[in-house]
Amino acid sequence: MTVRTQSILWVAQRASAAVLALCVATHLATMIYAVRGGLTAAEILARTQGNTAWFAFYSLFVAAIAVHVPIGLRAVFGEWLDWRGASRDAVLCFLALFLFFFGMRAVLGVFQ
Amino acid sequence: MKNLALVHRLSGIALAFFLPLHFWALGQALQGEPAGEAALESFLRWTDQPLVKFSEWAIVLLLAIHLCGGIRILMIEFLPWRNRQKTLAAVAAATALAIGLMFALSSTAHAQAGPAPAQGWPQKPVRFIVPFPPGGATDISARLIGQKLGDIWGQTVVIENRGGAGGGVGAAEAAHAAPDGYTLFFPSGSVMTANQHIYAKLSYDPEKDFVPVTNAVSGPQVLVVAANSPYKSVKELIDAAKAQPGKLTFGHAGIGSQTHLAAENFVNAAGINAVQVPYKGEGPSLVGLIGGDTAFAVTNVAAALGYINSGRLRALGITSKTEFAQLPGVPPIAKTLPGFENTGWFGIVAPTGTPKEIIQKVYQDTKKALESTDMRARLYVQGLAPVGNTPEEMGRAMKEETALWARVVRERKIKVE
Repeated sequence: MTVRTQSILWVAQRASAAVLALCVATHLATMIYAVRGGLTAAEILARTQGNTAWFAFYSLFVAAIAVHVPIGLRAVFGEWLDWRGASRDAVLCFLALFLFFFGMRAVLGVFQ
Repeated sequence: MKNLALVHRLSGIALAFFLPLHFWALGQALQGEPAGEAALESFLRWTDQPLVKFSEWAIVLLLAIHLCGGIRILMIEFLPWRNRQKTLAAVAAATALAIGLMFALSSTAHAQAGPAPAQGWPQKPVRFIVPFPPGGATDISARLIGQKLGDIWGQTVVIENRGGAGGGVGAAEAAHAAPDGYTLFFPSGSVMTANQHIYAKLSYDPEKDFVPVTNAVSGPQVLVVAANSPYKSVKELIDAAKAQPGKLTFGHAGIGSQTHLAAENFVNAAGINAVQVPYKGEGPSLVGLIGGDTAFAVTNVAAALGYINSGRLRALGITSKTEFAQLPGVPPIAKTLPGFENTGWFGIVAPTGTPKEIIQKVYQDTKKALESTDMRARLYVQGLAPVGNTPEEMGRAMKEETALWARVVRERKIKVE
């Protein structure tokens, strides 16, 4: 792993963390609004289905998670389990794809 | 501070385990059958199970802990806040945010899960928004059906007339009502299938804002003139209009309304040039006709029958292909204009998001109401025929009619900016 790649991962980890902090805050505001409005699942879906802005927001949310989680686990695997090298990175790449696929599947379910 | 970093890391590991499960479960519920709101409702009921509730709580708690640690790290690395006191203050702020998140998510889950939507519905009066003033065929149909449904449901069905903009005012109000089954919309066909082609700006989307329930009734229209009008037949009216192009006027229930389109259809078929006069509803347009403000109208039988029977209006022709039982002696317009036919319909749609169980119940109960002998008799008297098709059939019919009106409106250049 080159220094440059490590730097990129470090930046990606921090940048995705910052995005996640904003997304969580927005999600929090949305949930409070939904609760105060007494919205049911049907009403929530009526607002999210076909709404491109919500689709873009939750897609960003999922993408940030798919980036943040594997990079975080990479450090944990390396430092605590002494698991390094290509096998670790392959597993984490698979995890990133898994998170993105199933996250987007849920987002599409709410959007379509 | 080392402990905080450790907690952040441990919570991250746990989240990495729970989040994929959460995504998978939500996606599985929403991609399955039935899709849409019913799926989300069933997913939320599933989350009421103790084990699932525990894992959802675990995610929220872990997310809160992880968020605190993450914000602390970002502050230390990117802001010059290495001072212990300030860092702790930031962590405390993040904790407050996280607790808010926990509260909101747990309350949301509770609020959304609730009871099954159609259970015990309706438990209070149901509102029928009618997009035209009283006295028109839409209003008459809604009151007949609303009364019968009220008897079946043991609840009052309140008819609220919201006229204006060819039905657009009432449609916009219904579109933005809570989709809980307690507000239903009772439009005439044109509000759902023609207005989107006529109005440059429409404050509702007939396809996106509503879901079909059932086409309740339909009926032909009748070409009428005032009792003291010099025109005694369809031919005489057409001849007069041709002799003085652009002089004769016709009133209707509003731009884009069923009566407007029926009249435009007649004008088009007759090849005459007449000036349209929009009113706020069918009732007011007939009052204007009787008062001599306009020369003729092509109006729904239900709205005109009383005036015809009392001798205040003269029926010249019916828009059905054959003679109409309630108007004996009134010839079909097709006798003068071969092939001419026009039918109006009035149905029930619901704001998008209304639970499917409620839509099915309203459809089935309306069908039941329409099958009753007394309802059939009352509709017959009004010149209306029961329909009661399924939501799917109504949706398909509306799509076909939407395409038809798109063509007519384009050819007739009917446009409101």
